[in-house]
Amino acid sequence: MKTPGLSVQLAPDNRRGLLLANPVMTASGTFGYGAEYAEVMDIQKLGAIICKGTTLKPRTGNPQPRLVETAGGVLNSIGMENIGIEALVREKAPVWAGWNVPVIVNILGESAEDYAALARRLDGVAGVSGIEVNISCPNVDAGGIEFGSSPEAAAAVTAAARANTTLPLIVKLSPNVTDITSIARAVIEAGADAVSLINTLKGMAIDLVSRRPVMGNVSGGLSGPAIKPVALHMVYQVAKAVKIPVIGCGGIATAGDALEFIMTGASAIQVGTATFSNPHAPLDVLQGIEDFMKKEGVSQLAELIGAAA
Amino acid sequence: MKRIDATIVSSEELWDGAFFLWVRAPEIATVARAGQYVMVRCGEGCDMPLRRPLSIHRVSRDGSIAFLFAVVGRGTEWLAQRSKGDSLDLFGPLGRGFEVLPASGNLLLIAGGMGIAPLVALADQAVESDRSVTLLIGYRTASQIYPQSLLPSGIETVVATEDGSLGTKGMVTDLLPEYIADTDQVFACGPLPMYKKMAEMTDITNGKPVQVLLETVLGCGVGACLGCTIETLNGNRRVCKDGPVFELKEVVWDKIIAPAASGGIDNANLV
Repeated sequence: MKTPGLSVQLAPDNRRGLLLANPVMTASGTFGYGAEYAEVMDIQKLGAIICKGTTLKPRTGNPQPRLVETAGGVLNSIGMENIGIEALVREKAPVWAGWNVPVIVNILGESAEDYAALARRLDGVAGVSGIEVNISCPNVDAGGIEFGSSPEAAAAVTAAARANTTLPLIVKLSPNVTDITSIARAVIEAGADAVSLINTLKGMAIDLVSRRPVMGNVSGGLSGPAIKPVALHMVYQVAKAVKIPVIGCGGIATAGDALEFIMTGASAIQVGTATFSNPHAPLDVLQGIEDFMKKEGVSQLAELIGAAA
Repeated sequence: MKRIDATIVSSEELWDGAFFLWVRAPEIATVARAGQYVMVRCGEGCDMPLRRPLSIHRVSRDGSIAFLFAVVGRGTEWLAQRSKGDSLDLFGPLGRGFEVLPASGNLLLIAGGMGIAPLVALADQAVESDRSVTLLIGYRTASQIYPQSLLPSGIETVVATEDGSLGTKGMVTDLLPEYIADTDQVFACGPLPMYKKMAEMTDITNGKPVQVLLETVLGCGVGACLGCTIETLNGNRRVCKDGPVFELKEVVWDKIIAPAASGGIDNANLV
């Protein structure tokens, strides 16, 4: 059969739209600014790249250790080390402008005003195809998850970004909440074009010899295969509750994992931690999705989205 | 860098818990430099999501590379159980290796225990380019030492043991004052206390360039995840990409902490 249709529109109601050639994105924080992986794989084949979380001012991040491996998972507490929005616009965006693959900038602020300023700064910048509003980072004191745990705060931050850019807006949701659907509804009401979920789950590990937490920042965010069933169920809940595209993320390492998310209601997926163990994971996932569609006689990805929900 | 499936040529336990492994990896062997490393995938399935970084220990002309590692956790335990003919998933070579200055004719290499691993590759490289090499090695005790027969010929080797069972009694850094005079450049690999001690010996090193190889937990290996960042006088640097080799004087040693010692966490096994 002919090549299956893999393209997906993630911002159907946005004037610019966010059309991806395929549903495989790289998760923020695991893929740098994209160029880091250019030697490893053909990054232009990806559906989209989501860059490292970016703040107004550069940040140096949290103390070491920042990474700990747990059973089937990784705890991280990077603490939003990043070059800041000005350096991103000056040094990274011009590179992206020459790429085929769309790049989406993940933004994080300490106040609604920060999100407004970040969105405004990115508006109209060549090389930036969209914004992922991070309201779910578990590793910074101010901002991040604090905005993602109440519907009101999540809506306020989203509205601040929305009012300052015409770029498509994805809002990345935290799993560390009582009812993720209420947050999803609130950010949609405030103007989100799509939601991505889940960010990491809060966790920790103890060093028996020092009798202290292993991580420099005491706790971290858990990612990797260990969190996949949790992520999948949250995608299921949110996809049922909302009408905008849902982007699934959390423990996706294989095409099978990705297809589970898609059948549960995700229009696209993000590969993150899996890239550490398999540096070709994002493109392996893409190939596997295509192979599955050919084998099952599926001509359009849309036929699979929500098939199991 | 490339991700490849490499076949194990040989695996040998040199002493209790220390393994010497040759793998056939021409894609890596032809481009690898001393001080660079390879990320090794350990375990089956998704059991261990982080690869283990291992320094390039030796490179052979026939396209093989060797690793020397201690069993310090789940990953290296799994690796120690592999045998000849088994396949290993490797990603590398990665990082910035040792940089021998063109004018450096006399090299002083300082190894603390398993820190010998990347320095043997450097010694091989130096001997090939007709440089003079003095290798100072510190061990805990005589029963846990790297075999003299495996060291490249034509280098001077001096041993110190903490318990005095072989060579000079004491730490390897105690040997430094005696051997540094004719040295153009110093290269070191060992545990954190050794580096901190060296950083205090500025009157001894006296402005000579000193490069050290740092180990820390690594995530991606390509500079993307920022899991391994350390503080230097030139701002944050990524051990995986900007390192693992750094100038001794560049690192802010007060801020560097040793990896956790327990819990089977051995992501930090670079040396």
